[in-house]
Amino acid sequence: MKVMVCLKQVPHQDARLDVNADGTWIQEDNIKFEINSYDTYAVEEALRLKDAGDAEVVVVSIGPDRVTAALRTALGMGADRAVHVNDAAAQGADALGIAKILAAVAKEEGADVIFAGLMAEDDNASAIPPMVAELLGFPSATGVLATDFSADTVTVERELEGGALEVVELPKPCLIAIQSGANQVRYASLKGIMQAKKKPVDVKTLADLGLAESASAAQNKTTVNKVYVPAKGDTAEILSGSTDEVVGQLVTKIKELGLL
Amino acid sequence: MGTILVVAEIQKGAIRDASYELVAAARGIEGAEVNGLVIGSGVGDLASEFASKGAGKTLVVDDPAAANYNVDVWSKAIKAAAEASGADLILISNTPTGWDVAPRIAAGLDCAFVSDAIRVAGGDGGYNLVRRIFNGKLDAEVSTSGKTVASMQPGAGTAYEGSSDGGTEALSTDLSAIAKFVEIKIAASTGVDLTKADVIVSGGRGVGDPEKFPEIIQPLADALGGAMGASRPVVDAGWLDHPYQVGSSGQIVAPKLYIAAGISGAIQHLVGMKASNFIVAINKDPDAPIFEVADVGIVADLFDIVPALSEAVKAAKG
Ligand SMILES: Cc1cc2nc3c(=O)[nH]c(=O)nc-3n(C[C@H](O)[C@H](O)[C@H](O)COP(=O)(O)OP(=O)(O)OC[C@H]3O[C@@H](n4cnc5c(N)ncnc54)[C@H](O)[C@@H]3O)c2cc1C
Ligand SMILES: Nc1ncnc2c1ncn2[C@@H]1O[C@H](COP(=O)(O)O)[C@@H](O)[C@H]1O
Repeated sequence: MKVMVCLKQVPHQDARLDVNADGTWIQEDNIKFEINSYDTYAVEEALRLKDAGDAEVVVVSIGPDRVTAALRTALGMGADRAVHVNDAAAQGADALGIAKILAAVAKEEGADVIFAGLMAEDDNASAIPPMVAELLGFPSATGVLATDFSADTVTVERELEGGALEVVELPKPCLIAIQSGANQVRYASLKGIMQAKKKPVDVKTLADLGLAESASAAQNKTTVNKVYVPAKGDTAEILSGSTDEVVGQLVTKIKELGLL
Repeated sequence: MGTILVVAEIQKGAIRDASYELVAAARGIEGAEVNGLVIGSGVGDLASEFASKGAGKTLVVDDPAAANYNVDVWSKAIKAAAEASGADLILISNTPTGWDVAPRIAAGLDCAFVSDAIRVAGGDGGYNLVRRIFNGKLDAEVSTSGKTVASMQPGAGTAYEGSSDGGTEALSTDLSAIAKFVEIKIAASTGVDLTKADVIVSGGRGVGDPEKFPEIIQPLADALGGAMGASRPVVDAGWLDHPYQVGSSGQIVAPKLYIAAGISGAIQHLVGMKASNFIVAINKDPDAPIFEVADVGIVADLFDIVPALSEAVKAAKG
């Protein structure tokens, strides 16, 4: 079985976020990047299938040169191969553009199961995975916390609100977008990292995928015009002073609430 | 502007508030015609209600196949309704239903998609929307060209309270599905019931280390006679069990005092605690969105403040 995992490299969760010069995204120079946290759970879910004995795991990412590090990490965790779509024309492509690229890779790979994350921590879109499924005509499920594979189908549990889970059966081929906490993610071992150096990373352009015209940023139907720090509304009263002073002020407030 | 199709969502036998927030958003767009869509089985009355409470002319896909949410059924029903109504904007709520199906509609129609928007307005040949990115740390203004599918963040706006007379119209279309609904399971709730606590002290990813929860967070909760809570990443990492989680996928709480330490204030956490009577946020990032909902904020290292606060509370109690 061929299992493809879509992973995005995003700014590190503790990276400083400054708006870039033209005000349309963040300043990406000199910040650290990491694999989108939701996607680490997706990689883990795929690797568990591989451990169970019958899957080749291909990790796929679209992005600039820096994305190689994210793919190497996933290979170090145990993925077999990587596909890196690195093309300036894809930089800034909207969700549908990225989805078209991922769908083309999935076709080329003949993926039986596609894993993705529920949401990217940078754009918070939760957009791309169901789009990929629609373009391929695959059934899909998002926010998945558990998977159970049989020969022809996958039974998944989707997280709903209020502690409810929806159980859905998807025939293969299918796409599953994983919610955080679905599993405990393994780290890349030292041995894994050494082995990863020998694993293949196929670098592709849009032209290689026959997409030069249809999936570039030039085709965007959605444009981000402006990114900014939200205007502060009714913000908190900020206590200032030494630790003892702020703690003292806080104790006074807690007393006023009648809780002491 | 053209026609807006508002997709209703039924929860526990009623149209949810979020659907009326969509109606309000649609009605706020100048010159637009608003149409509704209700999908389900035996939902004729709910469709009439939606049509009369602001959605205007409402299409109804009433079919046993739609008794439970199914991604393929919804995808086909919404695409058919978009075509029947000639809508150039399709609005759906960003709930587990919305994020499962809405992107499929946009890809199927090869049109623009914007998710989890907090505002929507007419634009130049499309729509202008505002949404949060980076877990609430930044906002983005997005414009679309041509036909647009947008999901709106529940609770970002207020529900429509006016009326409309549109009537309903049955829509039948192929609803065959590949995905198969099996059942809804309710996770067994165990142990900690945070909803009963007067005081909750929650720690987030900023606490950084599982051992720090029993070492510093729990003692402050104990000193205040309250309970300990957590944000989702803490639970995902296995540092605390799920019953400790506060938020949209955890417990919804409203204690007299809620202290958030090392929690940034992503919307999914905020919806779980913003109704608290008094909120204290301790975070070293002065721009953390948590300060927007807090009554009192301390911009400092939680490892300095939390232990000192525990001692001061104990001393105050004598
Ligand atoms: C469908 C869905 C459901 C979700 N449900 C929930 C839910 O129920 N509950 C929930 O909480 N989240 C939920 N989330 C996740 C949510 O989007 C955020 O990822 C999460 O709330 C972030 O948790 P956090 O604030 O602890 O971590 P972060 O956002 O990483 O914030 C950590 C904070 O700690 C601060 N910090 C770090 N070190 C220190 C220090 N020494 N002293 C003081 N401050 C420090 C940092 O400045 C930062 O603001 C959900 C997401 C999705 C998509
Ligand atoms: N550039 C990308 N390369 C590979 N996968 C991606 C990319 N962007 C998004 N994805 C996948 O789509 C998921 C949801 O992203 P988004 O729709 O942007 O919130 C991510 O968790 C990834 O699995």
